[in-house]
Amino acid sequence: MRRSQILTLVGLGTVAGGIAAAVAYLLPWLPQPASREAGRIDFVFWFVTIICIVIFGIVAAALLYSVVKFRAAPDDDSDGPPTHGHTGLEIWWTLIPTLLVTAIGVVSAIVLAKNDRVGKDYLHVNVTAQQFAWNFEYPSGKNMASGVLRVPVNKSLLLTFTSKDVIHSFWVPEWGQKQDTVPGIHPTLHITPDKVGRFPIICTELCGLGHATMRTWAIVMTQAAFDKWLKGTSTATSSPNPAVSGAAVFKNQPCGGCHTLSAAGASAKVGPDLDKLAQYAQQANQPEEDFIRTSITDPNAYVQPGYPKNVMPPFNLPKDQLDALVQYLVQSSKKG
Amino acid sequence: MTAVTADHHVPASPSQHGPVRRLLLGPGWIRAAWMFCLFGAIGFGLTVLARWGGGWDPILYKQPIILISLLVAAPVGFLAGLGTFDYWTYYALGHPTRAEDHSGHGARTWKDYFRVNTDHKVIGMQYLVTTVIFFLIGGMLALLVRAELARPGMQFVDTQTFNGLFSVHASLMIFLFVIPAFAGLANFAVPLMLGAGDMAFPRLNALSFWLLPIAGVMMVCSFLVPDGAFACGWTGYAPLCSDHQPLGAVFFNQGVQWAGASSIMTALNFLVTIITMRAPGMTFWRMPLLVWANFTTSLLVVIATPFIAGSQFFSMFDHVMHTSFFDPGGGGYALGYQHIFWFYSHPAVYIMMLPGFGIMSEVISVFSRKPIFGYRLMALSLMAIVVLGFSVWAHHMFVSGMASWLRVPMMITTLLIAVPTGIKIFSWLATIWNGKLHFNTPFLFALGFLSMFVIGGLSGVMLGAVPIDIHVSDTYFIVAHIHYVLFGGSVFTIFAGMYYWFPKMTGRMYNEKLGQLHFWLTFVAFNCTFFPMHLIGVEGMPRRVADYAPKFAAMNMFISLSSFALGASVLVFLYNMITSWRTGEIAPANPWRALTLEWQVSSPPPIFNFTEIPQVVGSPYEYGVPGAQHAILAPSRAREVPPEVPA
Repeated sequence: MRRSQILTLVGLGTVAGGIAAAVAYLLPWLPQPASREAGRIDFVFWFVTIICIVIFGIVAAALLYSVVKFRAAPDDDSDGPPTHGHTGLEIWWTLIPTLLVTAIGVVSAIVLAKNDRVGKDYLHVNVTAQQFAWNFEYPSGKNMASGVLRVPVNKSLLLTFTSKDVIHSFWVPEWGQKQDTVPGIHPTLHITPDKVGRFPIICTELCGLGHATMRTWAIVMTQAAFDKWLKGTSTATSSPNPAVSGAAVFKNQPCGGCHTLSAAGASAKVGPDLDKLAQYAQQANQPEEDFIRTSITDPNAYVQPGYPKNVMPPFNLPKDQLDALVQYLVQSSKKG
Repeated sequence: MTAVTADHHVPASPSQHGPVRRLLLGPGWIRAAWMFCLFGAIGFGLTVLARWGGGWDPILYKQPIILISLLVAAPVGFLAGLGTFDYWTYYALGHPTRAEDHSGHGARTWKDYFRVNTDHKVIGMQYLVTTVIFFLIGGMLALLVRAELARPGMQFVDTQTFNGLFSVHASLMIFLFVIPAFAGLANFAVPLMLGAGDMAFPRLNALSFWLLPIAGVMMVCSFLVPDGAFACGWTGYAPLCSDHQPLGAVFFNQGVQWAGASSIMTALNFLVTIITMRAPGMTFWRMPLLVWANFTTSLLVVIATPFIAGSQFFSMFDHVMHTSFFDPGGGGYALGYQHIFWFYSHPAVYIMMLPGFGIMSEVISVFSRKPIFGYRLMALSLMAIVVLGFSVWAHHMFVSGMASWLRVPMMITTLLIAVPTGIKIFSWLATIWNGKLHFNTPFLFALGFLSMFVIGGLSGVMLGAVPIDIHVSDTYFIVAHIHYVLFGGSVFTIFAGMYYWFPKMTGRMYNEKLGQLHFWLTFVAFNCTFFPMHLIGVEGMPRRVADYAPKFAAMNMFISLSSFALGASVLVFLYNMITSWRTGEIAPANPWRALTLEWQVSSPPPIFNFTEIPQVVGSPYEYGVPGAQHAILAPSRAREVPPEVPA
């Protein structure tokens, strides 16, 4: 190979690699990491991406150079030089990729091990997925259940997953980590959120017709704010007075996202108006308490005329919280 | 009737009777129609009888009835009516068989393409035309998906239809286009390249083809099921697909069985053909790399495809018979489905890639006018991919909740596959280097393949690294990766192969200008469609959703518009193929000055390929070697027998 050839090749490779690197660097494609694990994943991401860009540059240079330089003239029917191979070259392009992928493997394995290591002091949350809703239970907060995941910042978070029906998948893009929830087994996931804020929780495994809407939020708060919330809410949900505990359950669960209930200041109009529960129960010809209970645990058993079927997922709350919510709804609909 | 077959022809038994009786009872579409109905009715009757006898209520329960009568019995009736089983039935019943009867061999009129035909060249074309039709249907489904995704929110379809659209799109493209299109190209080329008269089992070959349209029609028809098409993705994960889906899911389960059976039969046929029917002197180390590629692919198919058959049977049993293979409520194991499914479906990635590698080796060597660089290492890396390909399936399951220790070993084997694949890429580059490049359409598609497959391969390395995979699993990054590998990889090689062998298949040249236009349109539109998907995937857009966050709106609009351009580019291809087939310039026997055997016979080849079996004396890639020869052929007598002489 002549020196001018090598120079041209290096030049072409630099240009191709440069364009690829510019695309990778300038376009904002990685979400802003909000957990220690996401930071490490980003490191692996850039480590592998740089190797990939170098290889892409080499291939692009060889290809572009050949296309330009070795084009046959239209009337040229001659053959190229009969090169059958070159053992040295073949050894090199077996050896170097092997070393590169080994390096990628080692870096990945180390990061994987670090990301999975749970700290001594961690918060445990039980996550239940079902078509098409998330539910989060805090064993340290008297099993208080919430439709939104609230966690303290800079603390190990261990999630244990349960699925009630099909496979779902838990993902917060800013946290990087992801885990499928599989019926019959209880996998775990470890995350250490390190930024305060509100992040989307997205179901990423196709789970049925409502898959695209199976979303909720993860709210990362300071430790003090979290402790206050957990203590306050868990005390409220276990209060003997349904007006207090039921209101807390209503607020924790995503009820207000779809329904109107003036006592709770909710005014959404997707689902039936909960201020009219007494009237609905009469129309359904059922005792009001049973009617409300069934409508929460098995929403499709009776659907108020004028509203579509199969929209609301069944909610399986712990018994005391369900009782409190039912009492609360009975009382507040009477007021309404 | 031609001179070639006249000496062999013995009248088939139904033809001794009157013309009406022959029309009704002779093999063909009329018998296929009534036997389809008859078998369907028998299936219906047996199911109803069994339910009545067992005292099961209701007697007319649509699930088992549709499954047994429409998806199992009726297609068997169709195949029997068409005549795929005739020879074997005569044999089994003790009737005189007609071993030397070549009446079902070769195509003299267009009608011969529409019946059971034992000629590997006809079967190859049947495969290709059928698969292109399903490619068009699958492509239109994809355009509907992109139309819905052009803007956030729901516009054209409901979620059931949307999920059905992308599920059927993927199933058709994988099971009815990429895999069988390669089988079609190989069916045409491999026996010719080996110097053989046909495949080892021509009747089995015919049956393999006719199973395919059944599979395709079944998958498309799932849209006609009252509750909607199967809508759980082409991966059909349990328990969503086995328990929570309308009846359309069973159409997918069964469609995969028919397509899978077709694959397995073809692969067995290739293995036996390649092992036993090589021309004298054609040692394994003298085989063209396309033959090597199909040899290794067939090994993968024979070993792996029974696994997907199993997974789909179990899933269907769970659905219809209420067994509990994958239902934890009955003691089943939901992840078991994924393990069995990916034990096939990862090797299937190579089933969809290795034949393309073979096509690339032929095209690149011929249009660079140079021997393949490192021939033996090229063949050995195919074998390495086969062996490694069976040890990486769980890299599809890094976030699935399987035993977590499995992740690191599976990552290592996955990353190692990059090595043999890299060897192939570098060897092709070295073949091109210093060559005399002729930029005909097949070569353009080969270069397109090289550049696109490198991107798909590199994003594959990124996915192999577990931490990255955890972040991007089930996002649009995966959608981008799979399309770079299967479209930029497999489909580009299929286009290259179709243009390359078009003169040999049809006896006419395609239009070169239109071919190049097709390439450039496809290349640009392909990149505009799929490259941005990498970015939105990493940023947080999950796949298989009908609705998405507003921040992805601009990118999705761009992707959708590009995908319509990509769809339009296929029209150029179709126009070129159809008009060139009818009125193209007459092709010479060897327009590319290639050395492999299929180019040493006339275009199209004589009905029995070679007047005398050639004697192979050297490598098929000795371009530029003075005096080198691949084979010695007896002078062809093909031109002495014009294809259509009236009897």
